[in-house]
Amino acid sequence: MRNSPNTSDYLLANAAHDGVALVEAGVSYTYGQLRSAAGRLAAWLAELDLPPGSRVGLLGPNSLFWVAAYLAVMKLGHVAVPFSGKLTPDDVRRNAGLVTCAAVFADRRVLPRFAVAFEDDIGDIAVLTDEALRPGREPYWPGAIPAAPGADAVLMFTSGTTSRPKAVRVTHGNIQANTDSIITFLGLRGDDRVLVILPFFYCYGASLLHTHLRCGGRVVLCDSLVFPEAALDLLEREECTVLAGVPSSFQLLLRASTFAQRALPSLRLIQQAGGKLPPVLIAELVAAKPAAKLFVMYGQTEATARLSYLPPDKLSAKPGSIGNGIPGVRLRVLNGRGEQVAPGERGEIYATGANISPGYYEDPQGCAAKFTRHGLRTGDLATVDDDGDIFILDRRDDFIKSWGHRISSHEVEAAALRMEQLVCAAVIGVPDDEAGEAVTLFATARQAPW
Amino acid sequence: MTEFIAANYLFGDTASVPREDESLVERGIIDSTGILELIQFIESRFEVEVSESETVPENLGSISNLAKFIMSKQKPAPATTKWP
Repeated sequence: MRNSPNTSDYLLANAAHDGVALVEAGVSYTYGQLRSAAGRLAAWLAELDLPPGSRVGLLGPNSLFWVAAYLAVMKLGHVAVPFSGKLTPDDVRRNAGLVTCAAVFADRRVLPRFAVAFEDDIGDIAVLTDEALRPGREPYWPGAIPAAPGADAVLMFTSGTTSRPKAVRVTHGNIQANTDSIITFLGLRGDDRVLVILPFFYCYGASLLHTHLRCGGRVVLCDSLVFPEAALDLLEREECTVLAGVPSSFQLLLRASTFAQRALPSLRLIQQAGGKLPPVLIAELVAAKPAAKLFVMYGQTEATARLSYLPPDKLSAKPGSIGNGIPGVRLRVLNGRGEQVAPGERGEIYATGANISPGYYEDPQGCAAKFTRHGLRTGDLATVDDDGDIFILDRRDDFIKSWGHRISSHEVEAAALRMEQLVCAAVIGVPDDEAGEAVTLFATARQAPW
Repeated sequence: MTEFIAANYLFGDTASVPREDESLVERGIIDSTGILELIQFIESRFEVEVSESETVPENLGSISNLAKFIMSKQKPAPATTKWP
């Protein structure tokens, strides 16, 4: 294994100094301004004199500050630890403790709520806020220092349902391998402008940041999809070319917004990942924006972000498929004996590639279950067709056993969503004396009366 | 409105209800599903109709914006005199 460039240098290598990097709340920041913002935060961080590889938390909404802090942490050879803003202060305290954070960059908009998480009996965690962005301090940006292979760049907490959160180690090499691959298969360019509605503490959101910075493109920040019309106004105003969302984003856009009615002529590429979007909604999405290429993708935090994609020209022939491995990733569907399944047979997806994490942070037991000799054990059950394209059936743990049948919660959710009156649907198995588990559906109805 | 927010999003914790001018999104009170519940509540409780184009922060982003929005919706349409 050879050394990788430092990921912060890698991400900023291709951008023009005066090209716009970020748009936040109506203000555009150039790559030059992003570099000096990161340099200023690096200067403050360097003053703490932390040993190399120290974990430094990031807390706050997507912003210039968040991105600058992320770049500063990695540049100095430390490890960025993004925290979800949806956690409680107790959760943040526990997660910061799990990876022994030495410092944290916290946005002043959320700090009052979380300050208590960084006060410790043993010693407080150093807190740096966006006040550190103020001009006056000389930016510090040392020359290119290569990162050792396997050196951690980021620890990403998984949003898994297990009680103990897991911090996924993401190395400099992982990020760069996945970023290069995504740029290639999506055909991303320097003139692309992505509307980001996903948080950067989530691997999919982070991958949008990585890929568009690496291309020298523009990242348009839109805090969330809570107000779909405001997001669509922004997409129109900034003439975004790329839109990326998870299934619930598209459920909202298609069933509770004016997305389909708006022309949105700038939009050339739509990315969908983060779970299975029911085929009926994929069809609605294609019908709503026929000029935009739709990429259905599949990924996991343990794989940095992306693992597979379905080329847009296969969408109509293979509805419901996640396609096959992205460049540099090999996906195999294996049976219980570790053998590749024949077309039509059921197995579990395993992945190998340079984007696969070396494991969870200080959790050998968790690692052993997930990082196996066959590669990353995804936990997703699937079949393959004659062309080798993969169809996910469900999470291994998401099958409901009812009246002796194994029922895919995905399949019931997809069926329910064929009713246009619903925006989203979730199915679980509720313990039941007779059925074993009773199939139970939760649904959100569309707002307008029908 | 405050009661609904406490009961529906904060498990009844009235002490955590945001100030009237605070952003419900920034405070982490409502997310993209929460907004749909909020709209349903407004529509049924105040007997107004919220169109898709009205779901913007200026109308629904904070308690004070909500109050202004609902009152403007409830205002009776200007009276028109009809001659036979």
